[in-house]
This record gives sequence, structure tokens and C-alpha cells, in this order.
Amino acid sequence: MPPVIEVEHLQKRYGSLEAVKDVSFSVEQGEIFGILGPNGAGKTSTVECVQGLREPSSGSIRMLGIDAIGQRSQLRGRIGSQLQESALPDRMKVWEALDLFASFTTGGPDWKVLLEQWGLTEKAKTSFADLSGGQQQRLFIALALVNEPEVVFLDELTQGLDPGARRVAWDLIREIRARGATVVIVTHYMDEAEQLCDRLAVISGGEIVATGRPQELIANSERGIKVRFSTQQQDLTWLESIDAVSAVSRHGDAVEVTGSGPVLAMTASALVAHGIVPADLRALQPSLEDVYLDMIGSGEEADANGRVR
Amino acid sequence: MGAFAKLTWVELKLFTREPFAVIFTFAFPLIVLIVLINSFQPEEGGFGGFGEADPQDYYLASYVGVVIAAVGLIALPVHIATYRDRGILRRFRASSLAAWTIVGAQAIVGLLMAIASSIALIVFARVFYDAAMPESPGLVLIGFLVGTITFLSVGVLLGIVTRNARGAQAVGMMLFFPMFLMSGAGPPRDIMSSGMRSVSDVLPLTWVVSSLQNPWLGEDMEWSNLILLGGLLAVCVVLSMRLLRRV
Repeated sequence: MPPVIEVEHLQKRYGSLEAVKDVSFSVEQGEIFGILGPNGAGKTSTVECVQGLREPSSGSIRMLGIDAIGQRSQLRGRIGSQLQESALPDRMKVWEALDLFASFTTGGPDWKVLLEQWGLTEKAKTSFADLSGGQQQRLFIALALVNEPEVVFLDELTQGLDPGARRVAWDLIREIRARGATVVIVTHYMDEAEQLCDRLAVISGGEIVATGRPQELIANSERGIKVRFSTQQQDLTWLESIDAVSAVSRHGDAVEVTGSGPVLAMTASALVAHGIVPADLRALQPSLEDVYLDMIGSGEEADANGRVR
Repeated sequence: MGAFAKLTWVELKLFTREPFAVIFTFAFPLIVLIVLINSFQPEEGGFGGFGEADPQDYYLASYVGVVIAAVGLIALPVHIATYRDRGILRRFRASSLAAWTIVGAQAIVGLLMAIASSIALIVFARVFYDAAMPESPGLVLIGFLVGTITFLSVGVLLGIVTRNARGAQAVGMMLFFPMFLMSGAGPPRDIMSSGMRSVSDVLPLTWVVSSLQNPWLGEDMEWSNLILLGGLLAVCVVLSMRLLRRV
């Protein structure tokens, strides 16, 4: 099955500012795909170009087999959007918003069902401005689904939500995918990316610096995985000949093996083969946040002029 | 109901929930009308340079113009700028609704509100002050429609070019009050100094007020004013269409 979204060499300039330099990625059918990156990295510009809300300066975008730049009008009815920094009129009531947005499309589910599913029935007659942040976000998701889209874009959906509300939002996003849609989310929350996304693209400075499953990004990171155990056996040089191992160090009985990818499994089987069965064998993985900060160049580093990068 | 009709209906409801817009469109012209009618005692006819006109006749005709200016210069631009500023327009665009559709629905609401407010003024002035009804209703209606549509186009343009809702409100007020005071809706033009009158001559609201007052009070329509309004309309529409694509 061809990818649902294929972006190739996307570039977007605003005057002299190059917001997106060179971005290519693809999203498969039924995935929750995350776009991760620091503020100003070009995440929103990228997804807004993909949604046809902005004109790319160059590059190609295909969505659902259609040229998303040249024939974007054919796509509008098939995608659902939740935008960053968007709003509804303060005095528009919840039911009016759903009823209105449902009238822009043909087909699609009955909006009263969406009202129910997203827990807004009791708030149907409440004005947008009187909703809590979480309720507003739920309304935005419901509006994004009102045309029964095949691809849903959610830009910083959980921004400003309390931890409980974020968990609820994650469940709702999984539910969207369970109904068969492909979901693209933009976020800068690591836990969100790790828990929710099947695959991630990390954007920094207008370019993709990494793509892959969250676990792949961690396993392949330069920080490596540390495997620790204790043994009284002195000669462990054979551990260094394992492919996935890059270094072995020890302090007394405590041994630390550094490596990448399947280093834990390889080390474990080698230990067993040599008759060593430590009870405290464990792997320490860097967190996605560590790996992410390495990729984007951690915010702590300042450049020559003293500006924080 | 189709999407555009539904959008217009929702916009109409939203307008009536907006105290600022409702006050400026309905209450303000009515209050100033009452104050002005009561400030001037009826003379022996001929108020404001019109043959048999009493103050209430003169001011009723000009206050329909004030309604038009209030909708076009204040209510509509603030509304459109708010939509732009807060990302409401973007949200609609993401659901494949073109910006001009939304602005168009808002302009239609503006027209309906101007009509409703003008009718309220006329009924009020008729019942309480026995004000004169138009001598040439057909021509008054033409003046009203051309004036309203032109001022709505000015409102759309202001809503697009101003930075945000506050900016739109400031610019709208700055245009509204001088025009309101110098278009003949405040002091009658025939008592203005010649310098003040030449400023008044170039104010679009003066063209509207004249296109309402003349046929209302039995004078000849000055078609040149309608042509000027038409020119202003064309400029605003062309500029708005261009700028809206970039919103």
C-alpha cells in the first residue's frame, strides 16, 4: 500500500526567513505519526503546507495519491484539521459550531453523535469562551472529525492541558486511529511522542534530523544503551567482541557494558553461554528526551555570541 | 439549509450577542437622534436649508446615514479583524471555506442590521416626533443601498488591513467620529464655515447623507455623490479581494 502522505524536499520561505529548508518524510496508512521539534523549527509551517493552508516555496507533497499542491481542493473534504492558535467566535455555542462545520461537508457522521462521543453533550449550549481548555480541545477534535476524514492533523493538541486532560486527549487520538484514520500530530512533549506515536520525525532548524519509531531513535542514539550487572568473574574480554557492544568497564564487581540496538539480548546470551547468570542484569536506556536534546543540540549550549541556540 | 445560508444565520445570531456592535448600531444613533431633536426647537420650516423641514425630519434622514457608518466603520471591521486576529478565519479556511465566503456572510449581516436599525429609527421618529416620511421613497432606497454597500466594503477593507481588533476599533472610531460630526449628521451643513464645508464635501458619509436627505426632503438627488460612492466601492472591493487571498 502506498504511503498516505509523501513529502519530498519541502521548502518554505517567508521573505528572507527560511522556515523549512528541506523536509522529506512519508506517513503510512493507519499510523499515528509525530512531528517533533523545538519552537520555530518549522513544524507548523510543514504541516500547514501539507494541509494546503500555505503554499510551499518548492518541493512536492502527495496525499492519498493526489498532488496536494496542485489539486488541493480535491483533498480538503478528506482531511480534518486542528490548528495551532486557532479559535472559534467567543459567543458561538458548541452545537452551533458542530452544526455549522457539518454543513460544509456532505456525508460524514451525524454531529450529534460526535457531541456524544467527545463528551460535549452537556456543554452543547455553552459558548466557546465559557468552555475549559480541555473542552475547547475536545470540540476542536470533534470539528476536525465532522467530515469523517481519512487523514487528521493535530497541531499541539495538548498545549496548555493539565496532565489528566492530556491522558484523555491521547485516548481520544488512539480512538481516531482505531476508526481507520491516519493521524499526524505536532508536539514538543516527549512523553506524548513516546506514548502515542508509531513513528516520529524530528525537525530542527527547518530540516529533518531523524525519523523512526521512538524505540529505534533511542536504540540507535549515540548515547547508547548501558547494560549493568555484577559478577566476580575477572576475565570478560570476550564481551567486547560482541557486535552491538562498544565498551566494557568495571568497578570491582560492577560491570557496565555500553552498546546500541540489541546489546542487552546479546550480552545476556553471551553471559549465559559463559555460565554467568547475574540476578541484577538490567539495561539503562537514555530517555527519548535525552536523545531528542542530542539531536537538536541541547538548549543549554550557547553559540559564540552568547546567544542560546 | 446550505452552508452559506447557515453561516449567515450563525453570524446574525453572533452579531446580536455582541453588545458593542449592537449598542453602536442600534442604541447610539437613536440616543443622538433624541438629543439632537430635543436640542433644536422647530423653526418656521426650512431647518438645515431644506424647504419645509423641521429638525426631526432633517435628522431622521441623516441618522440613517449614521447607522450605515456605525455598521461599516465600526461593527464590521472590528468583527472581521477579530476573526483574523484570533485564528477564527484560519479555522474556517481549514474546513475548505474561502475567506471571502465568511466576509461575505458578515457583510450580509451588516446590511440586514443596517436595515433593521434604520427601520427602528424611522418608526421611533415617526411615533414620537411625527417626523416626515420620504418624499421619494424609491430614490431614498437607492441612496440607502448604495451607501450601505459602499460602507460595508470600506468595513471589509478596514477589517483586513488593520493589525488586530483593537487596531480596527481605533481606526474605525477615528474615521467614524469626524465623519459623523461633519457630514451634516451633527451641525447642519448650511451653518458650517466654508472651510469646514469643504472638508465635509470630501467625506464619504456626506455623500451618503446627501443621497438620503435630498430625496427624503423633496430636493433633487445629487447623482454625482452616488457616482463617488460607486467609485469608492469599486476601489475597496478590488483591494479587499487581493488582500483576502493572503489572509
